[in-house]
Amino acid sequence: MASKADRPQLIIGGKRLDGRMPNELRPIRIESSILKNADGSAYLEWGNNRVLAAVYGPKEALPKHMADPAKAIIKCKYAMAPFSSMGEHGRSGPNRRAIEISKVTKEAFENVVLLNDFPGSEIDIFIEILQSDGGTRAAGITAAAVALASAGIHMRDLIYAVSVGKVGEELILDLNMLEDNYSDCDMPMAISPRNGNLVLLQMDGNLTKEQMSRAIEMASEAGKTITRIQKEALQDVYKKAGARSQNGNGV
Amino acid sequence: MKEIVMPGDLLFDKPVRQENTFVENGKTYATVMGLFEREKGAVVSLEGAWSPRIGDIVVGIVTGSKNSVYEIELSFFGRAILIGSKYDRQTYKIGDVVESEVKDIENRKTLILWRPRVLYGGTILEVKPTKIPRIIGKNDTMVQQISALTKTTIVVGNNGIIWLKGGNIGLATTAIRTIEDEAHTSGLTERIKQMLETNATK
Repeated sequence: MASKADRPQLIIGGKRLDGRMPNELRPIRIESSILKNADGSAYLEWGNNRVLAAVYGPKEALPKHMADPAKAIIKCKYAMAPFSSMGEHGRSGPNRRAIEISKVTKEAFENVVLLNDFPGSEIDIFIEILQSDGGTRAAGITAAAVALASAGIHMRDLIYAVSVGKVGEELILDLNMLEDNYSDCDMPMAISPRNGNLVLLQMDGNLTKEQMSRAIEMASEAGKTITRIQKEALQDVYKKAGARSQNGNGV
Repeated sequence: MKEIVMPGDLLFDKPVRQENTFVENGKTYATVMGLFEREKGAVVSLEGAWSPRIGDIVVGIVTGSKNSVYEIELSFFGRAILIGSKYDRQTYKIGDVVESEVKDIENRKTLILWRPRVLYGGTILEVKPTKIPRIIGKNDTMVQQISALTKTTIVVGNNGIIWLKGGNIGLATTAIRTIEDEAHTSGLTERIKQMLETNATK
């Protein structure tokens, strides 16, 4: 973590370094079903983050002793590409940080996937960060949710994730790399928009009780936009196929 | 009127037990991305794995045998077994393509098959299992149309494996792939017919 002494001024005249307002998201674009070999996939651009998520399954659980006869198991692998400008995250590959994020992502999805529908099977989620600029675990979960939906996995909800941080006493939404490194607090959350359940909550730094509830409120507000983008991405695949057939060049 | 719904979308304010839905606090929500018709109440999944039912016709490959119990690969997360009958002498070799019917489902993951038929020669094609009803068509119209216009023998398995033999296999494959891509659009039977007729005369 960078020291507070050399911290740049992160909020100038009410605006953040990249010109955003405190409660403004970076531009998000999602494309669904882009990998042919995977059962479900999504490509996400979130500011300067570039994330690829792929889902395989439900398939036979391997190794066999890991299989649960009553429900499906989820395996998740989060990885940063060596060229993803990971900066102070160190080397790529299965390091301590990647294992942690894989674990929390898996647990977030265990809350929403209807595991009992596929007994004895396994669902694989792969999240590959192609370019990172802060908030990649949130971006990864948002992309993986779209990939799971496009794989036709039974879920209670289409979840999204976003982070809220604090600079001085001001709360800011969706931190980028610079804000993440120098802020007083960074709190990524994954939320199930149907009932507002939190399925992931991590915090680096500290918040007061009031700031915490306000942070969750900000995330839920931003979530409306993220959910809309996720749903549009999923629908676009079918609209495109429909348009193709209308033009008569479907073959 | 069909609309596309997403996982977690509210369908009814009352509890309705239907396919691909779940009930929470007396309200019904969708569990998959699918097409929803309010009058019928069911959500038809657009993507996803095959959920087997008794009576489904399947096409699979024999992958193992032990004491005349055969293991069949169906691209399904569970296991499928075919128990050889003591009345017929038919044996199956590993690699044989078999058409069969689901007789029973144990614990939602082990399928018992019966009424087997070995399919000799030909090629197999894997498609999305959710598109199979469209490939078969109402009263088999779609598959019969492809079969008639390309002179190909076609066996469609509900598990997403299709076996083809003879005739213009290339054209039949293109037709099936087109249906897979555009299964949710209307007027598909007519378009496929046109496509097959124009290409068959070439």
